[in-house]
Amino acid sequence: MPTNPPPSIVLEDVILAYGEHRVLDGLSLSVAPGSIYALLGGNGAGKSTTLSALLGFAKPESGTILVSGIDPAIAPDDARRQVAYLPENVALYEHLSAVENSDYLLALSGSPRSRDTIITALDAAGLQERAWDQRLGGFSKGMRQKVAIAVALLREVPVLLLDEPTSGLDPRATGDFNRLAIAVRDRGTAILMVTHDLLSAIDIADRIGFLDAGRIAEEVEAAGPDRFDIRALHARFAGPVAV
Amino acid sequence: MSVVRLIARDEWRLMVRNRVAVIGLCLTVLLTLVAIATSWTHQRGVADLRARHQAAASEAFDAQPDRHPHRVVHYGHFIFRPLGPLAAFDPGVDAFTGNSMFLEGHRQNTANFGDVRQSSLLIRFGQLTPAFVLQVVAPLLLIFLGYGAIARETESGTLRPLMLQGASRAWIVLGKSMALGAVALIVGAPAMAGLALIATQSDTSLFPVLAIAIGYAGYLALWTAAIVLVSAIVHRRRDALLALIAIWAVTVVLLPRVAPDIASVRYPLANRIQTDVAIARDLRAMGDSHDPDDRHFAAFKQRTLARYGVSRIEDLPVNYKGLLALEGEQMTSALFDRYSSQSFATQEQQNALVRAIGFLSPTIALRSLSMAAAGTDLAGHRRFLKQAEAYRYSLVQRLNRLQAEGVTYADDNADDAGADRRKRVTAANWQAIPDFAYRPMAGSDGAIAALSGLAVILGWLIAAALALAWATRRLGTR
Repeated sequence: MPTNPPPSIVLEDVILAYGEHRVLDGLSLSVAPGSIYALLGGNGAGKSTTLSALLGFAKPESGTILVSGIDPAIAPDDARRQVAYLPENVALYEHLSAVENSDYLLALSGSPRSRDTIITALDAAGLQERAWDQRLGGFSKGMRQKVAIAVALLREVPVLLLDEPTSGLDPRATGDFNRLAIAVRDRGTAILMVTHDLLSAIDIADRIGFLDAGRIAEEVEAAGPDRFDIRALHARFAGPVAV
Repeated sequence: MSVVRLIARDEWRLMVRNRVAVIGLCLTVLLTLVAIATSWTHQRGVADLRARHQAAASEAFDAQPDRHPHRVVHYGHFIFRPLGPLAAFDPGVDAFTGNSMFLEGHRQNTANFGDVRQSSLLIRFGQLTPAFVLQVVAPLLLIFLGYGAIARETESGTLRPLMLQGASRAWIVLGKSMALGAVALIVGAPAMAGLALIATQSDTSLFPVLAIAIGYAGYLALWTAAIVLVSAIVHRRRDALLALIAIWAVTVVLLPRVAPDIASVRYPLANRIQTDVAIARDLRAMGDSHDPDDRHFAAFKQRTLARYGVSRIEDLPVNYKGLLALEGEQMTSALFDRYSSQSFATQEQQNALVRAIGFLSPTIALRSLSMAAAGTDLAGHRRFLKQAEAYRYSLVQRLNRLQAEGVTYADDNADDAGADRRKRVTAANWQAIPDFAYRPMAGSDGAIAALSGLAVILGWLIAAALALAWATRRLGTR
C-alpha cells in the first residue's frame, strides 16, 4: 500500500512575535509535494510573516517550522536552498538581461544551466523571444515574474513560496501565471501562495487556508469536479455581499 | 565558480556597463601614470640641479686665492640638500622647506629657496605626485564606484533574493569587497609599479619601499572596507554616497589641512624676526672680546696666558685673535644650538599633536608614513640642518685654528705695506677641506620611522573589518 510522502512545508503550532505584538499565534499548516496551498487573510493577519519565517528571516518563539525537513531558524542557508521565492514585486538586476539574470541567479544557487536550457525555461514561462536578451529596465511586472518563474523551474527546488503573485497583473497575465503555477505543481513542487486574490486561489489551489489573528481560522479542500464553492468561500473571506 | 567570485564578477559587470565608472577608472590610472612621469622627471631635474649648484659652490670655495683665514670664514660656503630618489614618489616637505644653506662664521643661517616661495600658491594644494593621487584621488574614485555595492541591493530589493539563492551574508560582503578591492588594486598598481621603477633605478634600500607599498595597500584596503561597510549599513544609495563623501572631505581634506594649524596655535613657534632679535640680545649679553673689561673674555685671556706660561698675549706661541675666534664661535654656536633645539622641540610638539590627530585621519598617518619612508619628512629636513650645522662649525673652527696657527699675532695686527701679504695663508688649506656630503637616513631607519603610521592604518583596518563583520550579521534583517 503506497504511503503519502511527507509534507514539504510544515508549520506546527508556531508562535512568533515582534516585540509585544504576537503576529503568529499557534499557526499550523502543511503543504504536500505536488500541491498548492493558498493562504488568504486580511492585512496584518500574518501572511508575510509566515513566509519570512519559512525563509529564516524571522525566528519563532515556539512551534515547529520545517522546509523539506530543514528548520530555517536553525539552518537558514540550507533551508533557502530548498526554496524558490517570488515576492510581490520581483526584484531582479536592471543591468542584466533576462538570460543574464537567470544565469547569475542559477549559478549563485549552485545550479548553473546552459544558455539553451535557460532560453527553453524562459520560453516555457511565456517570456517572448525578443525579451530574452533585453535588459530588465523596461520589463513589466508580469515579464519579471516570468523570469523569476523560469529560474524557479530550473532550480528544481521542492518548495515554491509565492507572495501576492497576481497582484497588479491584468486578467490575461493572471491566467498565464496560474497556468505556470499549475505546471510547476505538476512537477511535484509544493507551493505555498499568500494572496488576496480569491479567484486565483480557487482556480489553482488544492487547499485554502484562512488566516486570522495569526492562526488558521478555517481550512477548505478542493473536492470533486466543482472544487470550491465560490459563494461560500467569498462569504467566509469577505463577509456576505450586501444587496 | 565560487559564490564570492560570482558576486564580484557581477559587480565588475555592472561597473563595466557603467561608462562613467570606466571613464573614471581610466582617468585615474592615466593621472597616476602622468604623476609618475612628471614626478620622476621633476625629481631627477631637481637632484641634478642641486648637484650642479653644489659642485659650482664647492669649486668657487676652492678657487679662493691665498687670503686671511677669517676672510674665508666670511666668504662662506653654499650647500644644497640632495633630493633622494623616493622623493619622486612623495616629495613630502621638500617644496616647503628650504633646500640650500649659506654657511658662514658667527651665524647659523636657515635653509632658503623652498619651491613654495618661488611658485604659485596652487602648489600648496598638493603637487601632482603618485602619493597625492593615491592619498586623495583614489579614495574618491573608490567611493564613486563602490558606494552602491550593497546599498543598491538593499534599495532595489535584490538583497533578499540574492540571499535566497544560497548566498550567505558573508559571501555577499566578501564578493562586493573583492570587486572593489580589485578596482583598488588597478588604481594602486601603476603607482606601485612607479615605486618599483624608482627603487630599481636607484640604490634605494628595499625596506622603505616595502613600508610605502604596505602602507598604501593598507590605506586602499581600509577605504575598500569602509565603503562596503557604509554601503551595508545605509539602506539608500544616495545616503551612502553622502556619508562617504563627508568622511572623505573630513579625513582627507579637512583634518590634514587643519591639523598643522591647530598644532601651530597650540604650540606657537617664534618667527624668524623674533628669533633674530632674541639671539642678538643674548649675543650682546654674552660679552665682547674686544672689551678689556669684559669678565668672560678677561678670564679667558688669563686662562690662556696661564696655559702657555706667558704673561702677554704677544708672547703666546699661537695667534691670540685666532684663539678668540675659536672661543667666540664655540660660544655663539652653543647659543644657536640652544635656539634651534628649542625650535625643533616646539616643532616636535606640533608634530606629536598632528600625529595624535592622525588617529582620527588615516590620511595623516599615511602621509607621515610615506614621508618618513621616503626621507622627505621634517625629520629628514632636520637631519640635513644638523649635518649642515656640524659641517659649518667644523669648517669655521678649522679656519679659526688656521688663523691661530698659520698667522702670527704680530702680522695679524700689523698694518704696514707688506702686512696684508703676510696675513694670507695658502689656498691649499681650504682646498684640502672635505666637501659637504649629506648622509641620508639608512633604509632600515626609514622603515622604522614609518612604523607608527603603519600601525595607525592597520589599527583602522582592523576596526573597519570588525565593524564590517558586525554589519554583515545585520545584513538583510530589516
